Amino acid sequence: MSEYPIKVVIGKPGLDGHDRGAKVVARSLVEAGMEVVYLGLRQTPESIVAAAIDEDADAVGLSVLSGAHMTHFKRVRELMVDQGLGDRLLTGGGIIPTKDQETLTALGVGKLFGPGDDPGTIAEYIRDWVRTHPRMEAK
Amino acid sequence: MAQFQKTSALSHGIDLTPALWKSFLAGQRQACARLITKVENEPDSIAEVREKLAGRIGKAVRIGLTGPPGVGKSTLSSAIALGLANRDHRVGVIAVDPSSPFTGGAFMGDRIRMENLVGDSRIYMRSLASREGHGGLSPATPHVADVIEAFGMDRILIETVGVGQAELDVLDCTDMVVLILQPSTGDAIQSLKAGIIEIADIIVVNKSDLPGTDTVLQSLRFVYSLGGSNRRPAPPIIATSCQQNEGIDKLVDEIEGAAATLIESGRHEELRRRRIVNEIRSGIQRRLWERYIAESDVERTIERVARDLVQNGESPYAFVRDACSRIELKSRPKEA
Repeated sequence: MSEYPIKVVIGKPGLDGHDRGAKVVARSLVEAGMEVVYLGLRQTPESIVAAAIDEDADAVGLSVLSGAHMTHFKRVRELMVDQGLGDRLLTGGGIIPTKDQETLTALGVGKLFGPGDDPGTIAEYIRDWVRTHPRMEAK
Repeated sequence: MAQFQKTSALSHGIDLTPALWKSFLAGQRQACARLITKVENEPDSIAEVREKLAGRIGKAVRIGLTGPPGVGKSTLSSAIALGLANRDHRVGVIAVDPSSPFTGGAFMGDRIRMENLVGDSRIYMRSLASREGHGGLSPATPHVADVIEAFGMDRILIETVGVGQAELDVLDCTDMVVLILQPSTGDAIQSLKAGIIEIADIIVVNKSDLPGTDTVLQSLRFVYSLGGSNRRPAPPIIATSCQQNEGIDKLVDEIEGAAATLIESGRHEELRRRRIVNEIRSGIQRRLWERYIAESDVERTIERVARDLVQNGESPYAFVRDACSRIELKSRPKEA
């Protein structure tokens, strides 16, 4: 069996223009050997999920620093499940209080990262998650 | 190098289930995305996928877009894709970005320039990392184009990584090549006289809103006025500005005109025939190599021979001859 890299789609939903974090994380995932499709700023949940479908991404990463994380993560997760990407990881980062993380976890969102987290651990988390969650192919 | 590459490697294969195939034929994008991933990640599966696609490919016009980094290839590809879609075509876009030779990772930013295409059902866009390809494309590119064509696209844009002078893979995978340049590269064009500039069917000077456009246009006309061994007529040269939305319509006209000529003249079919010849050749090479390498310990033998050759300075061709004659012996029919 041949081996191939993990593919991750990264984008920033909404109008928040602080994209340094997303770029640093994208870069560190590339360093970890992943193929990163970088969507950039001012995406909608719909445009992010549409890109994840066409790119057949293993994982989707959102960066939300505007405080709207509850809206964006929830909406993207719903769209992913509706559109057949329920078996892919949704992760991301921002300033996310523990309580909000718990609510989002219950909705099927993966681990979210914040200031001070080592980008290396994000790569490790994505890698472990994707390896332990093979895709469900329709029979 | 290999140890880095393995850090994020996966090896789950994709099953070509009847359900996946059915969804693909029903026009489900998720299924198309999965099939692309399959041919990209599992070269062994290409034969099986290709056989399933038979009868659904061969008609589309494949258009290569190439040029140096930063000239606006992605932005222009996006504009061309929309232009073609507005002329009732269904358009596939394959955008290739470079893989790191050290980590195997890739940063693919084409979608930042292609926002207009998202959610448009007439267009299917896919980013590919160049992986082991060193000629401006990923090795899987022609197979990905096959899948996208079978999905129902009749114009396929193939955008290379930013290239220098001699990344010519795009020539083998496409029916026509659009070379994209920008102002302030007048001197560079002088040095481009051979190689990439010779393969262009259409030349675009993009960012024509910037100063220096006329100088580049003059340099290009000068280069082509010199003629040369190139059998082909001088390509049309078009100035475009995506920012000002200038020249795009003219470029799409030119592409469509060239596509019509290709088809009417029979050249489209001839190019397709050539690609099939190449496919047969590389298929045979691959099978023979696999058959040879499958023998026990042959890889270790090659390593050992290489070590000896480095020591004694001899040529590797005696070993090659010997290996070939052993393959020939094996493939000869057994005498009764």
